[in-house]
Amino acid sequence: MSLRLRARTATAVLTAVPLALVLAACGADTESQAGETTGGGEPRTVTIEDNHGSVEVPVDPARVVALDNHVFETLSAWDVPLAAAPKGIMGDGLWPEYTDDDAVLDVGMHREPNLESIVAAEPDLIIGGYRFSDSYDDIKAQNPDAVVIEIAPREGEDQAAELARQTEILGEIFDRQDEAAAIVADYDAAVDAARTAYDGQSTVVGLITSGGEISYSAPVTGRSIGVLFPALGLQPAIEQAAEDTSHGDDISVEAIASANPDWIIVLDRDGAGVGEGEYRPAKELIEGSEALASVTAVAEQQVVYLDPDFYLTEDIQAYTALYEQIAQAFEAAA
Amino acid sequence: MNAQDPAPAAAASAQAPTTGPDAGPGRRSALPLTVAVLVTLALVVVSLFVGVYDLRAEGGAEMFAITRVPRTVALVLAGSAMAVSGLVLQQLTQNRFVEPTTIGTSEWAGLGLLLSVIVLPTASISTRMVIASLSAFVGTMVFMAILRRIPVRTTLVVPVVGIMLGAVVSALTTLVAISTNYLQLLGTWFMGSFTSVVRGQYEMLWVVAVVCGAIFVLADRLTVAGLGREVATNLGVRYDRLILLGTALVAVASGVTTVVVGFLPFLGLVVPNVVSLLRGDDLRSNLPWVCLGGIALVTVCDIVGRTVRMPFEVPVSMVLGLVGAVAFVALVLRVQRRG
Repeated sequence: MSLRLRARTATAVLTAVPLALVLAACGADTESQAGETTGGGEPRTVTIEDNHGSVEVPVDPARVVALDNHVFETLSAWDVPLAAAPKGIMGDGLWPEYTDDDAVLDVGMHREPNLESIVAAEPDLIIGGYRFSDSYDDIKAQNPDAVVIEIAPREGEDQAAELARQTEILGEIFDRQDEAAAIVADYDAAVDAARTAYDGQSTVVGLITSGGEISYSAPVTGRSIGVLFPALGLQPAIEQAAEDTSHGDDISVEAIASANPDWIIVLDRDGAGVGEGEYRPAKELIEGSEALASVTAVAEQQVVYLDPDFYLTEDIQAYTALYEQIAQAFEAAA
Repeated sequence: MNAQDPAPAAAASAQAPTTGPDAGPGRRSALPLTVAVLVTLALVVVSLFVGVYDLRAEGGAEMFAITRVPRTVALVLAGSAMAVSGLVLQQLTQNRFVEPTTIGTSEWAGLGLLLSVIVLPTASISTRMVIASLSAFVGTMVFMAILRRIPVRTTLVVPVVGIMLGAVVSALTTLVAISTNYLQLLGTWFMGSFTSVVRGQYEMLWVVAVVCGAIFVLADRLTVAGLGREVATNLGVRYDRLILLGTALVAVASGVTTVVVGFLPFLGLVVPNVVSLLRGDDLRSNLPWVCLGGIALVTVCDIVGRTVRMPFEVPVSMVLGLVGAVAFVALVLRVQRRG
């Protein structure tokens, strides 16, 4: 079913993209003239290494479009205004200065992006990538005057280094190197605290809940939780590589009960207010499950729930908070 | 299509030797049915004892009651209901390639489920089932209405119309899901899987047992309906009312199954076809076979899904799609060779 669904989505996108291109081309003709307003002072640039190679980026660009949800928290903390952003995947009330401001154009969801609004925003810098990676070439072609960068954590690389790299690049672009260094230092401190608090033996299972079902988030590769295993040296309670890394593998409560983990760490994928009524919180699914009642993690209340917004943020700040949360939980149990 | 125009000609000719002279199918030896019951029972028992948790360990008995029994009961109910639904639809449309997932009944149930979640976010699961069943009923009636307006109803046109209709509805569901942010959930809901069936999560499925019972009662009349409107009317059957009733039963079975476990593709197609290929077309005497076949097939697929990637599971719909497709191609080839 999900394959069929994916195929259908692909078809929809394939038909929509040429249309969007035509529309965008029309938009570009009429509106690109108005954008040349940068004057006064000599524009400084900095050369950074993004996911595609070296790019020369203007320092402290005036009009920024950000599509990668790893960067909103940092930009928000630094009061960087945005010209356009994908409001549909930014949640409610996480970054109200972006989502509630009508002057910030809405790029829409990554599945059906409104790339025209990026052109309309007349950006100097576009921070693309992550959920919008598929649109990179289109965005680049449609915005010849803008610098397009992708600095989202790359797959297969060490995630801690990738998050730090992303933050440091942002620091260089917005001339906030010190703040960037502080964010990275906080992150490193939180990882160290969690690693120290871990007893080295307790077994851990990562889970993802969605649509009232529980699935398994594999060590290393599993979404959001997988990286905790190598970073903290956690002992997995179930030793098996998983296939569906972003949505988790189908697993029965029986299998979790049988593995009897000491700790359970859960990403509640619907937690960010996606499905209001149908939503069954991870807490209810796990602690309310008869089959899991005798599992050590549940019996001793050693279940760590990720921040409900984690699925939308996944940024360095969110991980810092998660490591701090885990450190506290480990310490409390020790 | 009228009475003189039996469904796929090839399939009908394959059955001619069995159905023709033997006017009393119920009089045959009871031995084969007994064997089938025993085989199915054996599979059901195996299903009870397949799983990751060691039942001999502490809490094993508890786990047995919490997960194994509900899962097996759900397999039995959903398997028989979907297979019988396929059989009924095949009678009502006089076409062998029709079943809830090929004429859009399941897709309509899915649309109803999604709409119920959006419009009535706090509704209970039983309300959702009612809405899904109503939607499935409306959709199946739409299909029937379209079918009546199509002059050329050859064997393949009917399912093609159904699949097209289903695709349109499914596309609409996807569109609604995209614009309301439910797309990720859609896959989870409609993926036919018994993984999350535990005590307290499946009891609504008992409704389909009632549906199966009703179909047993209606069996003879449905067989007559399968001869076409004129013959049925001549024989004193209220054809239109029967069509409505049959469709409603199928809609309830599909609606409830979709809400509890998701789509179970091919089940209603393969099982009734294999049964009528082996035994001829008498609906009443075939019904127990179709029930058993549905239970056996879905149970085997679920056992396979549970064991191939232990401790993880492969959704039953995936195994069913694979097994069902192979079985169906084999069926078509066999029919062609005979014809």
